[in-house]
Amino acid sequence: MPSTVLIVDDHPSFRATARMLLECDGWIVVGEAATGADAVAQARRLHPELILLDVNLPDTDGFAVATELRSGAAAIVLVSSREARDFGPRVTACGAAGFVSKADLSGDALRSLVPA
Amino acid sequence: MIGLKRALALLGALGAVLTVLGVLIALNTEHIDGKIPLAFFSAAIMGSYIGVGLSAWWRRPRNRIGALMTAAGFSAFFLPLSAANSSLFYTIGATLGSIGYIIVAHLVLAFPTGRLETASQRRLIAASYALGIGAPLLFLMFEGDCDCDSVDGPRSAFLITESPGFIRILDPVVGLLGVTLTALMVRVLVRRWRAATPHARRALAPVLWTGTLLVATLLFTLAFDALGDMTDEAESVVDLVGIIVVTAVPYAYVLGLARSRSWRAEAMTDVVAGLGGARSDLQAVLTDALGDPSLEVAYWLPERGVHVGADGLPVLLPAADDPLRSATDVRRDGVLVGALIHDRALCDEPDILAAVANGAALALDHQRLDAELRARVEELRESRQRILEVGLAERRRLERDLHDGAQQRLVSLSLQLGLVTQQLDRGGTDAARELLDGARGEARAALEDLRELARGIHPAVLTDRGLGPALEALADRATVPVDLQGLPDERLPWAVEAAAYFVVSESLTNVAKYARATHAEVRVGREHGWALVEVADDGVGGADPSSGSGLRGLADRLAALDGRLEIESAEGRGTTVRARIPCR
Repeated sequence: MPSTVLIVDDHPSFRATARMLLECDGWIVVGEAATGADAVAQARRLHPELILLDVNLPDTDGFAVATELRSGAAAIVLVSSREARDFGPRVTACGAAGFVSKADLSGDALRSLVPA
Repeated sequence: MIGLKRALALLGALGAVLTVLGVLIALNTEHIDGKIPLAFFSAAIMGSYIGVGLSAWWRRPRNRIGALMTAAGFSAFFLPLSAANSSLFYTIGATLGSIGYIIVAHLVLAFPTGRLETASQRRLIAASYALGIGAPLLFLMFEGDCDCDSVDGPRSAFLITESPGFIRILDPVVGLLGVTLTALMVRVLVRRWRAATPHARRALAPVLWTGTLLVATLLFTLAFDALGDMTDEAESVVDLVGIIVVTAVPYAYVLGLARSRSWRAEAMTDVVAGLGGARSDLQAVLTDALGDPSLEVAYWLPERGVHVGADGLPVLLPAADDPLRSATDVRRDGVLVGALIHDRALCDEPDILAAVANGAALALDHQRLDAELRARVEELRESRQRILEVGLAERRRLERDLHDGAQQRLVSLSLQLGLVTQQLDRGGTDAARELLDGARGEARAALEDLRELARGIHPAVLTDRGLGPALEALADRATVPVDLQGLPDERLPWAVEAAAYFVVSESLTNVAKYARATHAEVRVGREHGWALVEVADDGVGGADPSSGSGLRGLADRLAALDGRLEIESAEGRGTTVRARIPCR
């Protein structure tokens, strides 16, 4: 089961709440990134086991970042305040392990998407 | 014009004297066989050229054809002069004997305006004059004997030395140059014919054909001269043809004028008959009358300062220096109503153009209403399209604002409430209370975001309390102090209130974003059923209504209500946005 996670989102309030939520559930948050470029750089430096990746980023989108990182070891879970059906097959096409709506985010939700 | 009349009369008298003098010289020559034909033809040529030339000069003083023709008539005097028995007169006559032919060629090339159109044509004629005077001069300087029918004719007065060797070289060189120049003239004439419109050809035809025949005769003579083996009989036949053709040019000119006049009458008849009859297609009627298939009718819309075609779409008139197209204004009682855009070749016939333009003015003015209506429909179609696009863009912006604002806050709120549950499960009531405080802050912020968004869509204060209070609320939130003047106490139609509100709101947003102003003023007023709204700032100016979507969108909103938006924004002089909206 993965235990280290990188949180990627351009809203600081979401990053703070998500960090609190996941840390309470026993995850280790190794880093936070606000842009796609920063996310790629941190993922390559920190080698997290899981990346929580927002779809809407200021410089690019989560699908492009996921595609760029798909050969890495980290499992990628896309998040958004929109619904999964807004994005359709693009989620699996970019190599992500799954999608979770922001309002439904919890440690258990991530575990169910990325089994050990 | 008394001066011109007197000068022309004097020239006419001088011409008559010289003609008589020429006849006397021809009849008294001792070295030419055909005294009578020479006397007859020199009198015929001089009389017709000077007569027709002076009359054309008198009728159209600014057209140079008359002057050229008169000059050609006077030059014909050198023909009998070269038959003079005196050595000096013979030599002068022989030197200048060809100049008359060249003036005629010049005339034909310059027909019908009297001006040579291109630099290459001017060079061609200049070279011809140089050769026409220079070559005989050289012959007379190096050959003493006269080229005449008697052995003891007059000898050259300009003789320097007899040089048969030089003459043998000069002869073919002059012949070749002459052939080249005349061939180039033929080319110009053929091109002129091809470029002419069908109707213009009718007027051009007599002169162009006579001229081409004349130049061709010259070419023929010169070519044979250069080869040097034409029999005497053949030479006299060609000479006779040449003289007949030369004599014909003035009459061809008169015929051309007459045909052009009949064309003008015919063109007018076409216009009157076409417009009076069943045909309502003005463009087709004028195309037929002027014989120009490329003719376009443009209608002037003074309110918008543009010409439009029959389809209502804007039409650009050709520039004054356009080599192919030209425009003739159409006026009705002195007021511009439109223009005819036509082949530049028609400019050679300004009288006909003016007559047809006059004849079409009434019909064009009537059809202008149709064109104006079509232009308006086209404008409406475009602004409807833009309003649709602005609406869609606004929806996209709303979706993005909702997503980035209230939605994010509600997501955080939901996650924080999840955390509260977790904390309560573990008995951490203090931590849970802290989280709840944060959650409450998020809920308040989400509410504020939604309120802001709703105000952007349609402010509640505008709906509930009207324009005055809504503008006061806008002024309170503005980034610079705003003076409000003339706020209405009564309610206006809701669409007018909304349009006025958004003019002020968009203008104040622009003041905050771009103007670097310290102060702004909003004035509202009513005048003859119009609501006037004006927003002025003391900022940097230089706003361009066509560059941003904001001002463009405002203009479209106003256009939908038949209103108008004006923007004054000189660099460094602040910006004033002025809207006029009809209150129906």
